[in-house]
Amino acid sequence: MDTAKKNGRSDEILLEVRGLKKHFPIHSGFLRRVTGYVKAVDGIDFYIKKGETLGLVGESGCGKSTTGRTILRLLDPTAGEIIFDDPNIGKVDLAKLSRAQLKRVRPNMQIIFQDPFSSLNPRLTVGQIVGEPLEIQKAASGQALRDRVAELLQEVGIRPENMTRYPHAFSGGQRQRIGIARALALNPKLIVCDEPVSALDVSIQAQVLNLLEDLQEKYNLTYLFIAHDLSVVEHISDRVAVMYVGYIVEMASTEDLYYHPKHPYTEALLAAIPKPDPRKRTRPIKLPGDVPNPANPPSGCYFHPRCRYAEDICKVERPPLRDIGGEHWVACHFAERLQLQGVTRLNEIPLIELPKRQAPVPAASPAS
Amino acid sequence: MTNAAATGTERTNIQIVSEDDVVRVEDLRLSFYTSLGVVRALNGVSFNIPRGKVLGVVGESGCGKSQTGLAIMQLTFGRIEEGRILFREFNTSEVIDITKLEKNGPEMRRIRGNHISMIFQEPMTSLNPCYTVGHQIEEAILLHQTRDKAEARRRTVDILRKVGMPNPERIADSYPHQLSGGMRQRAMIAMALSCNPTLLIADEPTTALDVTTEAQILDLMRDLQHEIGTSIMFITHNMGVVAQMCDEVAVMYLGRVIERAAVDDIFYDPKHPYTISLLRSIPRLGIARGQKLESIKGTVPDPYSTVPGCPFHPRCPAAIPGLCDTVMPEEIFIAGSQTHTVRCHLYT
Ligand SMILES: Nc1ncnc2c1ncn2[C@@H]1O[C@H](COP(=O)(O)OP(=O)(O)OP(=O)(O)O)[C@@H](O)[C@H]1O
Ligand SMILES: Nc1ncnc2c1ncn2[C@@H]1O[C@H](COP(=O)(O)OP(=O)(O)OP(=O)(O)O)[C@@H](O)[C@H]1O
Ligand code: SF4
Ligand code: SF4
Ligand SMILES: [Mg+2]
Ligand SMILES: [Mg+2]
Repeated sequence: MDTAKKNGRSDEILLEVRGLKKHFPIHSGFLRRVTGYVKAVDGIDFYIKKGETLGLVGESGCGKSTTGRTILRLLDPTAGEIIFDDPNIGKVDLAKLSRAQLKRVRPNMQIIFQDPFSSLNPRLTVGQIVGEPLEIQKAASGQALRDRVAELLQEVGIRPENMTRYPHAFSGGQRQRIGIARALALNPKLIVCDEPVSALDVSIQAQVLNLLEDLQEKYNLTYLFIAHDLSVVEHISDRVAVMYVGYIVEMASTEDLYYHPKHPYTEALLAAIPKPDPRKRTRPIKLPGDVPNPANPPSGCYFHPRCRYAEDICKVERPPLRDIGGEHWVACHFAERLQLQGVTRLNEIPLIELPKRQAPVPAASPAS
Repeated sequence: MTNAAATGTERTNIQIVSEDDVVRVEDLRLSFYTSLGVVRALNGVSFNIPRGKVLGVVGESGCGKSQTGLAIMQLTFGRIEEGRILFREFNTSEVIDITKLEKNGPEMRRIRGNHISMIFQEPMTSLNPCYTVGHQIEEAILLHQTRDKAEARRRTVDILRKVGMPNPERIADSYPHQLSGGMRQRAMIAMALSCNPTLLIADEPTTALDVTTEAQILDLMRDLQHEIGTSIMFITHNMGVVAQMCDEVAVMYLGRVIERAAVDDIFYDPKHPYTISLLRSIPRLGIARGQKLESIKGTVPDPYSTVPGCPFHPRCPAAIPGLCDTVMPEEIFIAGSQTHTVRCHLYT
């Protein structure tokens, strides 16, 4: 157990989401009339404590990005409350704020996007990209602005001389760092990281993850970390929430969720992690049945058509998300009763030692 | 295939010769001529993929993985300076050198649509935002598979279902921006799989997918591999996927293949210091939580310059002064092996 992982963590809640919904209209036919709704986010509840990282995982299309964007009001919610503890004005419900009021809260919440290639404006220099939020908020100008940008770039490991270059001149990892510098510009409290390392190779991914952790410690940042790679999520998160078709089905400490899952969907997810060991090849059991359609979800528990533990009640009654003890939240009728399989620790593949530095070769001889 | 081996003598790279190869890339060199200078993106890439096998291609961002794939498709904007790309379709003995074909000539277009297909790394740049996803897949099917519109529609919905889309009819009628990241990626995959290719080039095909959907896509590819005998060039940075999916692995660094071996050897007996560092930087479940991940120190040198000696030497913990910084290591077999090659002075 490593609950004391981060010093800045407290039990104070920074963000609490209650009953959040985001429905997109479906237009069809010749007249493009609204014929239904995609219930991308359909009544979710969760909270994030100050200084912690909450991982958010789930099937592709289950509503993770929509959740992240709605929290920041980049999308307007259909229903629900988004209570944010703003350092200046105290607790506010972001869902109810007008555009003008939002402008005051915005600096405290930022987002880092998945795609380091398309998320930076190619026409702006790196300096302009990082400085833009400062200018918009009129937080700095002139020399003070340049100094702050230089400081931010330094913070993410990019040499400030690069300020005048354009994004295309940087690699994926460097662009992701530029995106992080921009997100940090206004000293935010909360950063939504939407798959920040998915597009990066493992070594650069490790650098960016280490950077995010260092920054968190230094500035007491709080992260909502959306990702698919469950090993990355395990590495970085204090707690993890699992989403299924617009609904949170389980939320617990990382340790509990990975090693003692209580929801059948979480179990299926964990079983599908591809293990970096060619001697342990597994073809995970396919979830039976179709992926549910968020425009027309199944009755009762949304997972019931694919759940191997489903019983009659599951078809009719939707289980609420409830705390079964120790802040382990589960939305399953049988959470207490089921014995589910967690992950096994991957300690069998050898960690190969790096070769050591060799003695110098006296005179360089041509290769044989 | 004999003519391929005959001219192989003047090349520095080892050819692992197999009668069964579907594609064989030999000493491929590719450059970009830009206003800022010349980028030598590929500096002699060689590998082969046997029929029905999966070759994993891994390596740091910018090392040339995508450009290698694009070169095979003749879709790169760079100039192929040297080298050959030999390709053999299903059920023929004829070997075609793709580099000799005209980029947009009828022969290349025929190969691209029917025999080699590619899942591109950036779905948003390869899906047209102005057309529905279904329309784009149907077009591809109508171009190469059938002329019957209703049949094309039916196949489109069918392949969308196979890649795990909920309500494939809705997805077919959606525009790319109405789909989640992973749905766009699956639309791309559906398009690439619709033609049952001899060779599938999958460039980071599952980066935007959750693990259950990923498992489903990998299964779909294995089916193609087993039922049709498709060979796959699988570019990825997910070492878990490499371990689960690939038969052989080529590790690239700065436009060269620096280690090639069976997947088991790459994980259990890696030789090149870069490969070892790469394996050490993956987060492992349940191990060292809360500790810093290892990463390779330094960064890839900028692409306009060339590094003397072994290109990895400025970052290599085992570099031999006086040798590694002056002499480029050749690709050699590891002692006692016929399949495991490495480019590193530690093994000469
Ligand atoms: N602008 C939009 N209009 C209509 N539907 C949308 C729109 N944006 C998202 N959706 C739908 O909402 C659902 C959830 O999408 P979202 O992008 O939140 O998924 P996600 O969990 O982030 O998935 P991924 O892991 O693939 O990125 C999907 O069914 C998607 O088709
Ligand atoms: N249009 C271009 N002009 C100039 N250089 C280019 C161009 N396209 C690619 N390159 C260069 O070619 C090299 C290889 O790029 P490539 O896209 O193949 O890398 P990659 O291995 O696929 O990386 P990633 O893992 O980031 O996708 C890089 O150094 C890149 O800068
Ligand atoms: S409520 Fe029923 S269907 Fe839903 S996860 Fe639990 S057992 Fe399965
Ligand atoms: S040749 Fe030298 S510098 Fe290059 S990888 Fe081997 S030991 Fe390191
Ligand atoms: Mg998303
Ligand atoms: Mg690439």
